[in-house]
Amino acid sequence: MSEELVSGNHAAALAATLAARANRGGRGFGSGVYPITPQTECVELLCRLPIEKGHVVRVESEHSAMAVCMGFSFAGARTFTASSSNGLAYMAENVFSAGLYRLPIVMMAVNRTLGPPWNIWAEHGDTLMLRDAGWIQLYCEDNQEVADTILAAYRLAEDRRILLPALVCQDAFFLSHAMARTSLPEQAAVDAFLPPLDLPHRLLPDVPRTIGGLDWPRENEVHRRELHEALARVEEVYGEVQAAFAKSFGRALADPIVPYRLDDAEIVLVSMGTTAATVRAAVDEARSRGIRAGALRVRLFRPFPERRLAAALAGRKIGVLDRDLCPGLGGILWAELRGVPGISPAQGYVAGLGGGDIRPEHVAGILDDLRARSKATEPVFVEVG
Amino acid sequence: MSAEPLLSGLPHSALDRAEPILRAGNTNCGGCGMSVGLQLLRHAIAGRPVQIVIPASCAIVAPGAFPFSAYGAPVIASTFASAAAMATGLAHAARLNGEATRVICWAGDGGTYDIGMATLSAAAERDEDLLYVCYDNEIYGNTGGQRSSATPRFAATTTTPEGKPVDKKDIIAILAAHRVPYAATLSLAHPEDAVRKFAFALAETGFRFLHLLSPCPTGWKSESADSVELVRLAVRSGLFPVLEVFGGRRTVVNVEPDFSAEALERYLALQGRFRKAPPDTGVLRAAVLARWEELRRKARDPA
Amino acid sequence: MTGAKIIAATFARLGRHVQTFGDYAAERAGAPVRAYTRVGDAPIENRNKVYRPDHLVILDAALLDEEATAGLAAGGFILVNTPQPPEALAHRFPAFRLATVDATAIARSHDIGTRAVVIVNTTIAGAFARLLDLPLAALTAAYGDLGFSRDLPSARAAHEAVALGPAPVDSAAPAPPPRPRMSVLSLLAHREGRPTGTRTGSWRTQTPRYVTVTAPCSGACPAGNDVVGFVQAVATAGEEAAAEILGRTTPLSAVCGRVCPAPCMGSCSRAALDGAVDVRGLERHVASRASVAVRERGATPTPRRIAIVGGGPAGLSAAYELAKSGHAPTLFDAEGALGGVLHTGIPAFRLPRAPLAREIADVVALGVTTRLGKALSRREIGELPRAFDAVILALGLQKPRDLPVSGRELSGIEQGLAFLHRRNVEGGARIAGRVVVLGGGNTAIDCARSALRAGASGVTLAYRRSRAEMPAIADEVEAAEREGVAFAFLRAPVAFSGNGRVAGVVLAEVEPGPLDASGRPSPVTTDRRATLACDAVLLALGQSADDSVLPEGWTMRDGRVHAAGAPLPVFAAGDLATGEGTVAAAIGDGRRCARRAIAVLEGREEEAAPPERTVKPSEIRFHHFDRRPPTPHVPPASAAAIALAEEDAGLPDGSEAARCLSCGRCTRCDTCLVYCPDGVIARDGAGYVIDLDYCKGCGLCAAECPRGAMEMGA
Repeated sequence: MSEELVSGNHAAALAATLAARANRGGRGFGSGVYPITPQTECVELLCRLPIEKGHVVRVESEHSAMAVCMGFSFAGARTFTASSSNGLAYMAENVFSAGLYRLPIVMMAVNRTLGPPWNIWAEHGDTLMLRDAGWIQLYCEDNQEVADTILAAYRLAEDRRILLPALVCQDAFFLSHAMARTSLPEQAAVDAFLPPLDLPHRLLPDVPRTIGGLDWPRENEVHRRELHEALARVEEVYGEVQAAFAKSFGRALADPIVPYRLDDAEIVLVSMGTTAATVRAAVDEARSRGIRAGALRVRLFRPFPERRLAAALAGRKIGVLDRDLCPGLGGILWAELRGVPGISPAQGYVAGLGGGDIRPEHVAGILDDLRARSKATEPVFVEVG
Repeated sequence: MSAEPLLSGLPHSALDRAEPILRAGNTNCGGCGMSVGLQLLRHAIAGRPVQIVIPASCAIVAPGAFPFSAYGAPVIASTFASAAAMATGLAHAARLNGEATRVICWAGDGGTYDIGMATLSAAAERDEDLLYVCYDNEIYGNTGGQRSSATPRFAATTTTPEGKPVDKKDIIAILAAHRVPYAATLSLAHPEDAVRKFAFALAETGFRFLHLLSPCPTGWKSESADSVELVRLAVRSGLFPVLEVFGGRRTVVNVEPDFSAEALERYLALQGRFRKAPPDTGVLRAAVLARWEELRRKARDPA
Repeated sequence: MTGAKIIAATFARLGRHVQTFGDYAAERAGAPVRAYTRVGDAPIENRNKVYRPDHLVILDAALLDEEATAGLAAGGFILVNTPQPPEALAHRFPAFRLATVDATAIARSHDIGTRAVVIVNTTIAGAFARLLDLPLAALTAAYGDLGFSRDLPSARAAHEAVALGPAPVDSAAPAPPPRPRMSVLSLLAHREGRPTGTRTGSWRTQTPRYVTVTAPCSGACPAGNDVVGFVQAVATAGEEAAAEILGRTTPLSAVCGRVCPAPCMGSCSRAALDGAVDVRGLERHVASRASVAVRERGATPTPRRIAIVGGGPAGLSAAYELAKSGHAPTLFDAEGALGGVLHTGIPAFRLPRAPLAREIADVVALGVTTRLGKALSRREIGELPRAFDAVILALGLQKPRDLPVSGRELSGIEQGLAFLHRRNVEGGARIAGRVVVLGGGNTAIDCARSALRAGASGVTLAYRRSRAEMPAIADEVEAAEREGVAFAFLRAPVAFSGNGRVAGVVLAEVEPGPLDASGRPSPVTTDRRATLACDAVLLALGQSADDSVLPEGWTMRDGRVHAAGAPLPVFAAGDLATGEGTVAAAIGDGRRCARRAIAVLEGREEEAAPPERTVKPSEIRFHHFDRRPPTPHVPPASAAAIALAEEDAGLPDGSEAARCLSCGRCTRCDTCLVYCPDGVIARDGAGYVIDLDYCKGCGLCAAECPRGAMEMGA
């Protein structure tokens, strides 16, 4: 175990490199990489670090980066890439392909506002756009979580019961470019945690097969259901991964959803990513004013942890703070949460679009608004810039 | 006399690949040039293990529906633009694992000249260890016959009903400009030459590009039985030069055209796509001769 | 789908609500696909496929099965595209009303689609409109709406042609079979893809097959030799095998291999590429390595005794054919040796006597009785039918054409055949001074070249037409020219001058006139004349049959002698019957005559050979063959300019046979196999087998066959 002062980008690259080396006893590691701000530092480091039995291919687009990863993955190799924002939009077709092909690719995404106009700062809309791609989606709050979640993502993605790609998200600049002390495990511990990948449907030499040809409706409906069921099993497997993670690294892996002062909370503010820390501060401040406030951070967005959310939120007044927007609807997390049965209608708040700082006073205002409400209305835009 | 039997009896010798690449029961149209090309590829593969990546195209519909396969080899469908990139991953993985697998991209002109051009160019520039074969039927055949940048001037398509007003791209020149180790054109009318080039390209390392003129009876509105004759006429008239370029510099012409007006006119007359707006054969011939002048210069004087 | 659209458009024209759509998937030319049309009085909102149709149109009869008719309403029409009548299908579907129309034939006759993929939907829609009693005006308008007016005549033809079967017998339609719910393989468990098993053979509208078609050389051989067969045998199986093939039709290959004008070579497909295959040289080569005539006499339960008068090529061929099949021929000849003109006319430097004698001996050895050295009188000929079962007259053309012009009586003017007889049979004939030969055939050339060898100081050959029109073998003309024979073309003899002995031939200039019956310009004699000084003249102006040899009361009709209005078992063979004038024609006719005689004696119908299709030049794929000029002959052993011995030493070996394109005969060159897009052609025994379960009928194999040995059929 070593502790290093690294950015979120480097934390991701270092974790990915550990996972990559861990497959040297298997069919190796491969990656297709392409730069985009604010993710570039991650792939730059990946290109510098030595990886036994690994190749990093410097391709010409995000679309090809994911295609190269699919090629590696079909050959049974462990893979990794990273992207952000418009890069993810450009990659989207192949992001879907990777999910539909059931390839356990791990990708780190730095959440950034989609342009134009150009804006390189944090927003979650880029990865949320890919929510239907059949990928596991995990959102991180700090650099340590980025490193830990990437290692855990491999274990989840490569589990025989799942076999799906995983997207590990971190907020632009707040994490990607912010240096923080981060513990990274020894290679031997990672080797134990991540046994060599054995992809059951990998391409075997000389065995005739056409993968990805025509699927009639009958086949297609079954294959899509299988994908859904595999994704739905993530929550169940996640617990096992947490146990193994703790055993291997002597540290806890954060839960799919992370409650804060929820026990007696009357009002709860739900958020993802780095915003959650600000929310916690605002909750503390509200509690100091006698308000029974709580917070909930959603780490696992796909599969959507519906039952956990229902259990955590039942009987409380709920607000959702989205750093993203589905125009014409509202915040995406809010929209998803509305479907969770057995909870009160949630009030949506959209804040920090374009990467502006969501400060505690903004959240305090939101909590006040929420407390004062008798019913949920259309989403409230909170301008912070 | 040409050596008889053709290909010196290879197709029924022990040297031939036991399993065809394209099996019977595929759904390509009768007389499809791509199908003939895949049969020739089989003879060149011999005992080599291969993996094939096919982007969106007739070729990925040909094998039939899941879980069956009219391909007698491992094949993966890539997205339209991604063949060379997906194949890159396979080829690197093969090398990482010390495997002899040859990775082949089998793409149409849409996936090569158009949507796949950036991916192709990048893989060529990286000198990936791939054999990229473009079967060029000069249209988006799988979607019913729309123009691509490989559609020749004057050809009517569903999106150029009055005939395409501009020439097709010179794909070999594009690849030669990437200085790839090997780029060559394949004529179905010259099977010995074609199988030789397939075999050479399979044995070489680095990026290899083969361009196969692939008549499409459905899209070209031609008799299925004329598919090979059409290629022969394209070669004879000089429309389709049969050549190879080594290292992007040394150009070798493999088949001398006769540049006859008769061949050119017959080539056009056998296809419905040139009937709507009959081409100006004078313009076509002048373009052919100009292109050949350039080719001769390249062949004489490697850049 | 077009058919479904036309039906919908027609109903729309009639003010009905319609809906039409197809099963969009991987549409491929020729592949089966379903399309649907709904018609109603209200807007149609059901977007599902049609599971319970009222009527069914089947564009490919192979698709007509219980699965296709599943769900069809009782009493509904089933319209099938087939040449069969509805009655042929009705018994299979007692609950439905069958109707048939041969839409493929109608569409093909209207040139809709291509040969391989005939498009029938615009045609069959016309037939369907008839069944539903749709007005033609609406149908016509619908074709206009959809841009198919060009196909309307074909639709109208189908409208006329559709045949309706009997009314349904059963009132209830069979219950559709349950649709099994197939279990689906998981993507992760998908390890291997088996072949689809899709029988694409059902897409086929035409079927390739291997054929043997007569090669132009074989078709042109007057002797009836299997020319391509023997040449291919030389190339692939050796001279013995080739001799065996030749021996089926000729005993005289050493002869024809030297003196035949070789029409086979004249029609050889290779001539257009780089020169005809040297078939003559190859026939000689075979005869030089192996005996052509069969050794074993055949057997017949009813051996016949046949008299053959005339031991020339026709008589020899007839005798050979008869002996070969077990009969007992007796050959009569006035000369002391057999061979006819081969013996008396053709000079030894062209036809050495040793091979000739060997081939004649082979014929005789097969069981031929000979009566030589005495010409039969008319009376003796007339008595032959009493002593023999049949008689074959093979007397040749014995009456040389004369030239009854002024000065013909002068000495020194002689028939060329008489000169050749003196020289070839009697031996040592000399001729002195300047000799003029009149004529342009092989006899004229033989005379000219023989005269040079017999002492002439100079020889001029005068011919009334051009060089190109000479009937003589071109090689012989060249040889004569090489030896110093002078030629005077477009010159006709009109008189001889001299005092007691000929001293000159008066030649008139000839201009080519209108084409005559032979297709050549008729020679028009002008009055521009000149005298060619000479010391001797040889007439070689052709011969005709000598009727005076036939007994009293015998008349010849269609090659058979009649007396008192009734046919006798007496037949004419060779030049006497045909006037063809070549050894090869005489061989062919001698054989045919012998077979005819036996057929008549056995009371059988005379064999009429079916007309054979020969390979057309357009069927030969020249690009398949590399250029390779004909093999040069071995240079003559003698350096003399004018050799007495045979000067052509023939081909050095049999390699020339490899130039044969094998027109119309499969050589297993694998072109079909290599070009089959679906890989469904495989070698099988001596040929190939096509897997018709999968063959799509594209026709590439037949189109690319280098030699016309494949064809597409029904």
